[in-house]
Amino acid sequence: MRLGRGVLTIWFAVTVTFLLLRLLPGDPAQAVASPTMTAETRAALLAQYGLDKPLIVQYGIYLGQLLHGDLGLSFTQSIPVTTVLFERLPWTLLLTVTALVLTVVVGIPLGVLAASHRGRLLDKVVQVVGVTGQSIFVPSVGVLLLFAFGLMLRWLPIGGAYDVGVYGVAWYGSVAEHLVLPALSLMLVQLGSYVLTMRSTLIDALGEDYVTLARANGLPYRRILWRHALRNALLPTTTLIGLQLGFLVGGAVLTETVFAYPGIGRGIYEAVTQLDFPVLQGAFLFLALTVVVANMLTDIVYGFLDPRVKSA
Amino acid sequence: MRTRTSALIAGAAGLLLLLAGCAPEAPHPAGSSGSAGGASDDTLTIATTTDVVNFNPLIGNSRSDYWITNLMYPHLLSIGNDGKKKAELATKWGYTDTTHGYYDIRDDMTWSDGQPLTAEDVAYTMNAVKQDAPAGTYYGQMAHFASAKAVSKKRVEVTLTQPDTSVIDEIGFWGNVVPEHVFQPAGSVAKFANDGSSGGWVSAGPYVLTSKQVGQSYTLERVQHYPLAPGGTPGPAKVVYRVFPDVNTEILALQSGEVDLIANALPPAQVKQLQNAQGITVQEVTGLGYAHMTYNMDNPDLAKLEVRQALAHAVDYDAIRKVVLQGQAVSTGSSPLMPVLKDYYDPSIKEYSFDTKLARSLMEKAGYTADADGNFPVRFRLIYSLQDTVTASWVQLVKDDAAKAGIVIDLAWSERNTYLAQTNAGDFDIYAGNFAIMDDPVTNFTLAYLPKGSINYTHNDDPTLNDLIEQASTQTDTAKKISIMRKAAKLVHDQVYDNVMYTQNLYFAHSSAWTGFVPEPSELLSIVNPISVSSAHKR
Repeated sequence: MRLGRGVLTIWFAVTVTFLLLRLLPGDPAQAVASPTMTAETRAALLAQYGLDKPLIVQYGIYLGQLLHGDLGLSFTQSIPVTTVLFERLPWTLLLTVTALVLTVVVGIPLGVLAASHRGRLLDKVVQVVGVTGQSIFVPSVGVLLLFAFGLMLRWLPIGGAYDVGVYGVAWYGSVAEHLVLPALSLMLVQLGSYVLTMRSTLIDALGEDYVTLARANGLPYRRILWRHALRNALLPTTTLIGLQLGFLVGGAVLTETVFAYPGIGRGIYEAVTQLDFPVLQGAFLFLALTVVVANMLTDIVYGFLDPRVKSA
Repeated sequence: MRTRTSALIAGAAGLLLLLAGCAPEAPHPAGSSGSAGGASDDTLTIATTTDVVNFNPLIGNSRSDYWITNLMYPHLLSIGNDGKKKAELATKWGYTDTTHGYYDIRDDMTWSDGQPLTAEDVAYTMNAVKQDAPAGTYYGQMAHFASAKAVSKKRVEVTLTQPDTSVIDEIGFWGNVVPEHVFQPAGSVAKFANDGSSGGWVSAGPYVLTSKQVGQSYTLERVQHYPLAPGGTPGPAKVVYRVFPDVNTEILALQSGEVDLIANALPPAQVKQLQNAQGITVQEVTGLGYAHMTYNMDNPDLAKLEVRQALAHAVDYDAIRKVVLQGQAVSTGSSPLMPVLKDYYDPSIKEYSFDTKLARSLMEKAGYTADADGNFPVRFRLIYSLQDTVTASWVQLVKDDAAKAGIVIDLAWSERNTYLAQTNAGDFDIYAGNFAIMDDPVTNFTLAYLPKGSINYTHNDDPTLNDLIEQASTQTDTAKKISIMRKAAKLVHDQVYDNVMYTQNLYFAHSSAWTGFVPEPSELLSIVNPISVSSAHKR
């Protein structure tokens, strides 16, 4: 049932993407060729891209190719879309997963800290940090971090995913070094949501009867907080992780641009400017798959955290 | 509980394995060309804002495509700071009659795999482009090209379908030469990716691409012999192009020393800041294009000469150049023959004066009466691209100045593709934009002012102008050609078929540790042209 819903969601995303791209003003021939091209050249290019066929025929061909695992050829680069995407995908995965892990690892304890010090100075400071984090813009944070750590202090590199001409073990060190600032940027803009969600749900949980009962039974506060209240308060945060994945990839477009990070987000931006339909269709299919899989995983984890959901 | 914990651990391990499978792959070292002659072991790192889209120079459409493939595939001709074509691979070129031309080429150029570069490669490239029609500027120059033939190892003869005295210069300037022995077996040049997947790249330029990290960097290594470099060997051992999509990050990278040079022209606002920065040199390069506004003559109001004149006189050009471009632009005298085209430029054609009173009287002469607020009963929609930040800044001044003359202009911005679609469909009253390179006057006038010209955005069809352009396109006598083109430019100016506003001077920043660059006009050539890069060295 869950799998069926997932397939339906992906078909819907694929179809909407296909139609929306063809509703865009301009055409790929115009984006690729020089402004001085003749009408004949334009017609030849559109035929080469298969865009001279009726929409329904184009859609049928596209779905047929998709069922055979063929995402087509990039209009602008004349190479398979899978090659275009898989050259960039690992970097986006590395960046977004690192940022997500950092956000959860930092965000949840901060939320717990704020909730357990409710109304005190620490809580207020964490709230201010959380609200500020929610209102800042990725590129602004990025440029600020680059200026401070890249130019002034010169502790970290300005851009890219690793240094050219570095191989072996040193390459992994270079990758880690280049990952710090972009991951930190993404983490900072997401942190607020996690901290504030965690704080408010934990405050609610700490007011529940079972917490009062645990206290009355003499259980240590720390145990009540981390073993009982936190477990219940984690449910909305788990949902947030699933929901935030889409945002994370959106944020990656800007982060990858500012930090010259060679991920799929930047690939999407470039494909949009070139109206490279096959690359965009492939990229959005990947995004739809990510969201569907993330939601499935969230459902599964939710089941582990709350057995009532599993049995339902 | 234990089962649940085990499942969570298994899930986490699975996720880690999945991530490990998707993790970026470490690169392997490429072979080195070693140093030779007086050449250094230095690496010149150049920043660019865009990735390479296509490694096939016959298709290429981004600036990075051009810069990188230009270091491998030579052009027959280049252009000097006086706007005249100059020798590169070709040593001599011209016409034997109005439908036949020729190129004599150097005999000391070789491909990096040891094969000689001959007239056969030149003829193959031209014929393949004509036959396969790849998207790009090169094919756009082939309208009157029929065929090319290598009559010896050094000479290529070209046959045209009709008289055209610009085509030899234009093909020579815009077209790269590719190796026949690599491109011919790959089939259609319109579909060949040339991405190095079948044994790397072959170059006849100063450098050969040896590795690419998509989205990040492109590494080129010096070839042993490049006769156009000082001493016959390129200076820097390696050239690395690094991609920084954000201009601000690119500038930070230059200031921090991560890159040595920025290939794209600096935004006007950044020029002064970098001129004052320690350790950075800003070099001026002549522009080869112009910014302009055209008035859609399909609009009955704009079909009236007086209305176009009124609009042209309602712009403070000086303020635009001083404020928006911070003085980094020169007037063309409102003529499409810019000062950089030294032979063609006509100083007797003067810029439209900024005179709102004159603009008002012209509107009245056209039959319009202003209302109580001083506004005439006309309203024009001006389109521009949001990606063109300089134009996006000056259109506001155009609107405000026109309002002083009682003419209402509505600004309509859009992203580039929508803007291009609107332009081609004639869906505008006033078009604001620019052309980066307008190197050949006859070609430009043909495209911009003849009825079927692909950039005739004014939609004008003036028999006198058409006749002058036709005459120039068949005229082999340079002095006569210049005289005809000046008459045509005067007509364009007087009839306001085009309102050319300025040529922007271009500024490029590099580390002061490097010197020896040889600038050529335009952003495409600037200080990253093959001869400049191969002449660069550390102080």
